[in-house]
Amino acid sequence: MSGAKLRRPLGIIGLCALAAWPIVMSSPYDLRLFTLAGIFAILAIGYQFIFGYVGELSLSQGAFFGLSAYVTGILAAKAGFDFPATFAASIAVSVLLAALISLPVLRLASHYFALATLGIGQVLLLLAIDWQSLTGGAIGLSGVPLPRMFGFQIGRGWPLLLFVWSFVLLAALVAHQTKRGLYGLACHVVRQNAIAARSLAIDPDRIRFAMFLLSAAVAGVAGALHAHTIRIVSPEGLDFKVMISCLTMAVIGGRTHIWGAVAGALLVVHLPEWLRGLEQGYVIVTSGILIAILVLAPEGLAGLVDRLLPAAVGREAIPAAASAPASQVAGEGVLMPSETPILAIRGLTKTFGGVHALNDVTFSLMRGSITAVIGPNGSGKTTLVNCVTGIYRADGGEMVLGGNEISAMNSEDIAARGVGRTFQNLRLVDDMTVLDNVAVARFRTEQTSLGKAFLIGRRDARLERARSHAMHVLRRLGLETSAYLNCGSLAHGTKRLVEIARAICLDPVVLLLDEPAAGLNETEQADLARILEGLAARGLTLLIIEHNMEFLKSLATHMVCLDYGELIASGRPSAIYQDERVIEAYVGRRYGAEAMA
Amino acid sequence: MLQLLVNTFALGAAYSLLAIGFVLVLNATGAVNLAHGSFVVVGGFLSASLGTMLKLPGAVVLPVVLAGMMLVGGALALIAYYPLRNRSAVSVFISTISMSAILETSTLLVFGPAPRVGPPVLTAGSVELGLATLNVQSLATIVLAIAIVGAQYFVLSRTVLGKRLRAVAEDREMARALGMNVNAMIFVTFGIAAALAGAAGLMFANTFYITPGDGEGYMIKTYVAATMGGWGSLRGAIAGAFLVAAFEVLVPSLPLMLPAMVDALPSFQAAFSPTASTIWLYLAFLVVLFFRPQGLFGEAVQQRA
Repeated sequence: MSGAKLRRPLGIIGLCALAAWPIVMSSPYDLRLFTLAGIFAILAIGYQFIFGYVGELSLSQGAFFGLSAYVTGILAAKAGFDFPATFAASIAVSVLLAALISLPVLRLASHYFALATLGIGQVLLLLAIDWQSLTGGAIGLSGVPLPRMFGFQIGRGWPLLLFVWSFVLLAALVAHQTKRGLYGLACHVVRQNAIAARSLAIDPDRIRFAMFLLSAAVAGVAGALHAHTIRIVSPEGLDFKVMISCLTMAVIGGRTHIWGAVAGALLVVHLPEWLRGLEQGYVIVTSGILIAILVLAPEGLAGLVDRLLPAAVGREAIPAAASAPASQVAGEGVLMPSETPILAIRGLTKTFGGVHALNDVTFSLMRGSITAVIGPNGSGKTTLVNCVTGIYRADGGEMVLGGNEISAMNSEDIAARGVGRTFQNLRLVDDMTVLDNVAVARFRTEQTSLGKAFLIGRRDARLERARSHAMHVLRRLGLETSAYLNCGSLAHGTKRLVEIARAICLDPVVLLLDEPAAGLNETEQADLARILEGLAARGLTLLIIEHNMEFLKSLATHMVCLDYGELIASGRPSAIYQDERVIEAYVGRRYGAEAMA
Repeated sequence: MLQLLVNTFALGAAYSLLAIGFVLVLNATGAVNLAHGSFVVVGGFLSASLGTMLKLPGAVVLPVVLAGMMLVGGALALIAYYPLRNRSAVSVFISTISMSAILETSTLLVFGPAPRVGPPVLTAGSVELGLATLNVQSLATIVLAIAIVGAQYFVLSRTVLGKRLRAVAEDREMARALGMNVNAMIFVTFGIAAALAGAAGLMFANTFYITPGDGEGYMIKTYVAATMGGWGSLRGAIAGAFLVAAFEVLVPSLPLMLPAMVDALPSFQAAFSPTASTIWLYLAFLVVLFFRPQGLFGEAVQQRA
């Protein structure tokens, strides 16, 4: 039996084992442990939103947990509110705090985020100990009631266990909805390659923000339930140990697998019991396991299962793709390059520490033209692409796309306006299929959002449309046979084509290609040239950065040459090849011979 | 008043030791060592127990502590950094968090949960200096910290070993291409960082007392110092360390310095508690990041798009 077929029975066995656990180990103490495991499973599932799906190291999951427990404790024990009120308040406070911390730091590099989230835990802990009148100081608040709602009280033992585990189910459902559709694909790209996400009109900051708030909300659920279960809130709930446990669960179980979080929680909650002889020493054991897992199986238990029993690649029916026209003959176009500038660049300047990477560069791209940017290494070609796509903010000059000024826009907004690009050093997501790598470019067009992801029914219509569109593009580029392969397994030349397919899937008006022919053999180069000509013939405007003069010779309709950040020549390729300044710029350099050929 | 300034300076000097070690590791490995605070705990307990056993002042115990901490740092690099050196920086963040749990729990198991007091650097007591009475411990801390930083600076700038260490911090690939043993240099860097933090632990163990759970607090202050000053910059880290110390000493003593303010705002006393000073520091950190994400003195670690 193949691994994929074994997965379903194994999953069912796992679920049965989970259900049988509290039935077999049914002493009140065991039931309490199982209930606590459920609470920590919720915490870990919540943590996966930020740590797993978008890959940001947040160190405040424990802080939200403890804070929410305090809110529940204070409102329920001191003010006597019922569960619905205390529960809602606990979640709201966690989410609010998450919003406040993340606003200044979420857009910064990950070490700032780690510190800001680490710091908030320490601040809350000090507050909890100091503010005795409210929190009961170091001793904490006892007498938190069992959850009570609508005049009905959830009892100890089984009722509480089922109550808690129904929230586990709910959290798992929310996580599942987030993950499985087009939104989940976008999260995956944000985690692996935020710059690529921006180039596909996906705003990584916004997705990270949503995931961070969601993780705080779920931590709020766990914290509130924890207060009701252990009936006391104390500074211990805010201790960094809670955060370490949560991190341990997520890493041991697997960062992006829901069942991994549940398995991790069961393990981490029961380990101190199994290792009771060691007393505090169990921390050394769990931390040791954590490091071992990081080293040996970085994707955790769930990743290990995936490696042993790989899932069948989802060849879900792609309805529209089946009826899509077969690959069109490239090069058969009707449009000729027009005289209308679609992208006008005026006086573009960019300096890095006093060095002019671009100095007062001015030129325009005509609709349907293929413009090549040539120039020796370090002449500012890639900087030009990075400025136009908003990855670098230009120091001066303006860029106008179809009448709209785009100089001050974010990378993702420029992409949404119709500027697609590929990268010199490929930026594909290796552990994702070719089809999904390309399909994710439909994120903005399909108006994907987290709220809509929650409402997905049996199938995500957005994802299906996106995949169908992607399949259509892949066919046009002759890549349909690779659609279900992971990008990591592709040959270099195919990867370059997939990047182009991804950019086309965005439906751009201008496509910027950063050294598309690098690393391709001659046949591949000829195929690529034919494809690019076909795209231009249908009205797409292309800007190609290239060293390879042979490749450009018959392809480019217009050519500009950069040297030391200055535009030294602009015109028809035949004229550029004769231009004295161009030849001078190349003489004695690596590509001199080709330039004069 | 003078005593307050000396205290601030002493605390800042001790925090500088922490921040320098933190930044050295950061530059050499590109990763944050979240076990750095635990080095303080281990160093503090080491000096406290040596101090009580041998009945010697801290300055005499120091070489032993430094040597011991070099080993601890090397061991940490071996377990938590070396196997993960080719993985993402976040993996090292996590493994060092685990190491901090291991180090602090081991301390707890060996020495017990009770707070310990370390030996004074020279003697306890105070000296009369003109009008003011100054704490000997504070003065000795400053002198010792300057001496250690000076020695560290000498090693880094004047010796072959130091040049290699700096080369690795500057550009690992280039250093490797030039035939240096990069991994060995990184082990040494971790050792130096741990030794510096251990020396700081020796100072803190007497000025305050030390418990096995103190690591996180020191960790955060070090991290804040390095971030506020400018990521990856040694000078920035020292400036950040003094800023953190200023918050910690000066905010709680504001009411003492300006009694008129307390009379005017009696209910605001809570805003100057030691807890409040930590909160102010945290808020200041968020504000700094919001307006100057590169830190007060600019990032030294360049990131390429």
